[in-house]
Amino acid sequence: MERSNLFLLIGVIAAAVVIFLNFDSSNIKTSQVSEAGGELKIYNWSDYIAEDTISNFEAETGIIVTYDMYDSNEVLEAKMLAGSSGYDLVVPTADFLARGREAGAYQDMDLSRIQNASNQDPEIQAQADRMVGSNSAGLVYMWGSTGIAYNEDMVVERLGDDAPTDSWSLILDPANAAKLEDCGIAILDAPTDVLPNVMTYLGYPGTSMEKSHFEAAGDALSAIRPYLRYINSSQSINDIANGDICAAIMWSGDAFQAAYRAEEAENGHVIDYYIPNEGTNLWFDVMAIPADAKNVDNAYKFVDYMMRADVAAANVNYVWYASGNEAARPDIDPEILSHPGIYPTEKAKEKLFVTPVYDAQTDRIVTRVWNRFSAGN
Amino acid sequence: MNYFFQKFGRILVIWLPLGWLLLFFMFPLVEMINVSFSEARRAVPPYIPAFQIGSGGFTFSPVLDNYLLIYEYWEDYLWPAINSIRLAFFSTLYCLLFAYPMAWWIARSNKSIQHILLILVLMPFWTSSLLRMYALIGLLNPNGFINDVLIWAGITVTPIQMMQTDFSIYSGMILTYLPLMILPLYASLVRLDVSIIEAAADLGAKKWDIFRTIVLPLSIPGIVAGSLLVFIPAVGEFVIPALLGGPEQLMLGKVIWTEFFRNRDWPVAAAIAIILIAIIILPIVYARYQDRERIS
Amino acid sequence: MAPFIRIQNISKKYGKLLAVDNVSFNLEKGELFSLLGPSGCGKTTLLRILAGFEITTEGYVEIDGQDMVDVDPADRPVNIMFQNYALFPHMSVSNNIGYGLKRASLPDNEIKSRVSELLELVHLNGMGERKPSTLSGGQRQRVALARALARRPKLLLLDEPLAALDKKLRSETQFELCKIQEQLGTTFVVVTHDQEEAMTLSTRIGVMNNGKLVQVGTPNEIYEQPQTTFVADFVGEISFIEVTVKEQKGPYWLMQGAVPIHVSTGAKLRINQKVNLALRPEKISLTSKSTGKINEFPVKVIDWAFYGAGTQYRVVGPGGINLKLYESHNIPSKSNARQPETGFINFSPDSIIILER
Repeated sequence: MERSNLFLLIGVIAAAVVIFLNFDSSNIKTSQVSEAGGELKIYNWSDYIAEDTISNFEAETGIIVTYDMYDSNEVLEAKMLAGSSGYDLVVPTADFLARGREAGAYQDMDLSRIQNASNQDPEIQAQADRMVGSNSAGLVYMWGSTGIAYNEDMVVERLGDDAPTDSWSLILDPANAAKLEDCGIAILDAPTDVLPNVMTYLGYPGTSMEKSHFEAAGDALSAIRPYLRYINSSQSINDIANGDICAAIMWSGDAFQAAYRAEEAENGHVIDYYIPNEGTNLWFDVMAIPADAKNVDNAYKFVDYMMRADVAAANVNYVWYASGNEAARPDIDPEILSHPGIYPTEKAKEKLFVTPVYDAQTDRIVTRVWNRFSAGN
Repeated sequence: MNYFFQKFGRILVIWLPLGWLLLFFMFPLVEMINVSFSEARRAVPPYIPAFQIGSGGFTFSPVLDNYLLIYEYWEDYLWPAINSIRLAFFSTLYCLLFAYPMAWWIARSNKSIQHILLILVLMPFWTSSLLRMYALIGLLNPNGFINDVLIWAGITVTPIQMMQTDFSIYSGMILTYLPLMILPLYASLVRLDVSIIEAAADLGAKKWDIFRTIVLPLSIPGIVAGSLLVFIPAVGEFVIPALLGGPEQLMLGKVIWTEFFRNRDWPVAAAIAIILIAIIILPIVYARYQDRERIS
Repeated sequence: MAPFIRIQNISKKYGKLLAVDNVSFNLEKGELFSLLGPSGCGKTTLLRILAGFEITTEGYVEIDGQDMVDVDPADRPVNIMFQNYALFPHMSVSNNIGYGLKRASLPDNEIKSRVSELLELVHLNGMGERKPSTLSGGQRQRVALARALARRPKLLLLDEPLAALDKKLRSETQFELCKIQEQLGTTFVVVTHDQEEAMTLSTRIGVMNNGKLVQVGTPNEIYEQPQTTFVADFVGEISFIEVTVKEQKGPYWLMQGAVPIHVSTGAKLRINQKVNLALRPEKISLTSKSTGKINEFPVKVIDWAFYGAGTQYRVVGPGGINLKLYESHNIPSKSNARQPETGFINFSPDSIIILER
C-alpha cells in the first residue's frame, strides 16, 4: 500500500472513531420488545432520582422504562423545541416549562388521573403554577434555592468569626471577595439564577425586568470579577469538596452533594450552605409530558408512582433536595427536614421570590449583561 | 455485465464522496444559511423558515434582522471573536511547535515502528475528550498529582495555581488538537527524500541551515494543512476554556451557545456561525486563489 | 609523492553484515575512477564513506594529505551527485546550483557569475529561473552535476550518474561528462553497475564483489586480463571451458577438456592443474568449412542474434561445451542470407584467458 493511501486510511479511521465517540449514544436506543405494560421514555436530570426507583416501578407495573439524563435545562429545551424528541416524560425547571408551553412543546396534565396528586404541597405547587402560568402544566418534583456554599474553616480564617455567612455580601462585597480570592470563588454560569439575586442584594426587587436593574447587577458582578476563579455550573461541586475553592454561588442540591462528598472523603473540609437573608429565587423542577409523547398513559402512571409518599421520601433522602410532596415529610430524614438551606425557615420564606418568565427581549438583555460580565468588558 | 460493474463502480467512486459532502456538509450549511435569514418565534421549531416548500409552492422571504442585530451590537461579538481567534492562533502555534519535532522523529524512525507510533499519536482519540479534560484537571488542580509531587519533592511549599490559567487552557487545547497537527506534518515529512537533506549537508549546510532552507520550506503543505485542521475547530472551541480557564474566557463558541440556548434565538446563532465561517473560509479561499494565480 | 587520495583498509559493518571489507586504493589527481559491481556489493556504501555520510568501522581516508576521519560532510572538499539527483524542488535551477556557494558565504555577485559559468558549462543557459520539475531528465542530471561542481570539490562522487536516463541520452551524456571532467581536471569517482558505462568513462576501474575490491585496473586490463572468474564474467560477454593442464608442448600448453586446446601463456602452470579457460566472443572465428587452424573443432549453431554491427552466435561443440561468439560485419551483411546450422570454430592460442578454478 502506498504511504499516502495508508495515511488517508488512518485519517478516515481516526475521523470515524472521533465521530463515533462523540456521538450521543443516548440517541440510539434499541427498541425493546414491549411486554404487557408497554414502554415509557423518561428524560430527567442526572443524579436526580433514588437508585432503585425505576427498577421498583418496572417491577410493579411491567412497564419497560428507558431512562436518559441531561444536565442542563438548555439541552432539554433545545430537544423539545426541535420536536420529535421521543420522550414521554421530562422534568424541566418551571420557567423553561413556561416557555416550552408557549411554543406548544408540552401538553396539559389531567390531575384527576393522578390519585396521589393530593399528596402535593399546595403552597409549593401554587407558586410553580403561577410561574408557569397554568394549573395543569405538571407536578413539582423537587424545588430548591440558589445560595452560597462555603468552606467554613477557610472563610473564617480569612474573614474572621464575624464573616457574613448569612448574606450575599460574603461574595458580592468586593472587600470580602478580595480576601477570599486566594482560596477561590466560583459563580454559577446561570444568569437567570444569579442576576436576580444580585438585584435583591442591591435593593432592587428580584422579580424586576428593568433593563437598568440588570445592568446594575452586571456592574456589581464586574466589580468582583477580578477575584473570581471561574464562572461555571458543574465544576464547583468537586472543587469546593476538595478545598480547591472556598466559596461559591450554587444551587442548594449541588451544595449538599459537595458537603456529602467532602464528608465521605474525610479530607477535613466542612462545607455548608445558606440562603442569604436578603432573599433568593426559588426554582421548581416540574414533571411534564411533551406534546408529542407516545406513551401518555404510562407517563401518568409514572407520575402517580412518583407522587406516592414513600417513593417521594426515598428520592429526597437520596438527592437532598426539597420535595414538592407534603405527605412524604414523615419519611424524610430529619436532618434534611430541619436544614434551613433545604427547607427554609418561615422567616426566610418571606424573602423568597419566584423569578418571572422573561420575554425574548428580556432574555436578550440578561444574556448581554451576563456575557459582558463574563467577558470582562 | 463486466462493463456495467465497471461503470457502476466509477459512478460509486465519484458519487459516494460527493454524496457524503452534499449530505453532511452542503445541506446543513444551506439549512444554517436558511435559519440565519429566518424570523425567531416561540414555537416548534423556534423560527419561521425563510425558505419554505409548502402547499403554496416555494416561498422565500428572507429577514435581515439577525444580521442587523449583530451589526448593531458588534462590540459584544467582536471581543469574543478576538478571544477565540487569539486562542485558536496560539493553540495552533503551540501545537505546531510540539508536533513538528514529534512528526519529524516519527517520519525518520524505523519504518516498522512508524505505524505503532502513529497509532500511539491517535490513541487519545479513543477516549472521550471530556474524560481527557477531567484527567488533566486531576493533574493540574491545587490538590492534583503534579502539585502533590512538587510538594513532596520539596520544590514548592504551597501548591502552584495551574488551573484557570493560560497554561491549563493551552495544555487542554494541545492535548486535544495535537494529533490533528502531527498527522499532516508526518505525511509531508515522510515524503521528504533523505538524499535531499544529505545533498544540502554535502553542499556545506549546517543543521539549522538545512532546516531553514530545505526541510521547513518543503514541509509547508503539511504545516498549512495541520494549522487549518487545528485552527478551524479551535476557533469554535469553548468547552476546553470553560472547563480549564478562568472567568476571562468568553469565546465566540460560547456566544453562539448562549444565543442558541439562552436567548433561544436560533436565527441569530446561525447568523453568527455563518459570519464566522465566512471570516475563516474567505482568507483560505483567497490564499488558494492567489496560489493558483502565482503558479499559472 | 603521496597519492592525491588515499583509501586505506576501509571496513564498514552494519551489525554482523560486512558491507565494505578491507578496501584500499589510491587515486591520482584528475582521474576518473569507476567503482563497478553488482547491486549490494558495497560500492554505494564506499561512496557514502567518501562523502562522509557513513562512519567507517575501520580504516581511513586521506584527501590531498588531509585526514578526513573527523570531518563533517559539510566541510569535506568532496561533493556528491546523487542517483536521483536530489535537486531541491522548491528552488530555481540557479538557486540549486548556487546553494553550496551561498553556504560558503560568497558575495552575491560572485555567486551570480559562478552560477552563470556553470549553467554555460552544462549547456543550460537561460534556464536559471526554471523549477526542477519543469526540466527533462537529462536537464535535471546536468543541474545536479553543476550543483555538485559549484564548490570546486577536490573529489566529485557520482552515484549511478546515468542510470535514470534513457539509452540514447546516456551515451551522449557519457561523452559530455568525460569532456567536463577533462576540462576541469577534477577527480571523479563514479559508482555504476553498468560495465559498459564503466569501460567508456573511466581511466581506471575498481571491480567490487561482496564488499571486497577484487580488481583494480584500466578498462583494458579489466577486460583482457581479468584476474578472477567473477571479474571475467561480470565485465563483458565471455564463455568458460573447464580443462586440466596436460603437458607443455613446444610454445604451447596442451589442455585437456572435452576437446584438446592449445594455449600460449606466460603463466606458471602445473601438470594436472584444473583451470578455467575464458574466451571473449570476438576472439572466436566461425567458418563454414574446416580451415585446419590450431584450436579448431566442429560446432552446431543453436541460436543467433543480429546486432547491426555484428551477429552473436551461441554454438555447442564436442562434449557439450557452450560458447558465445561474435562476428563483426566487416563487409555488408547479406539481407536474407541463411545462417549456417553447423560449422567450425577456431581461436588463437594467445587469446585465451586462464583463470584459477
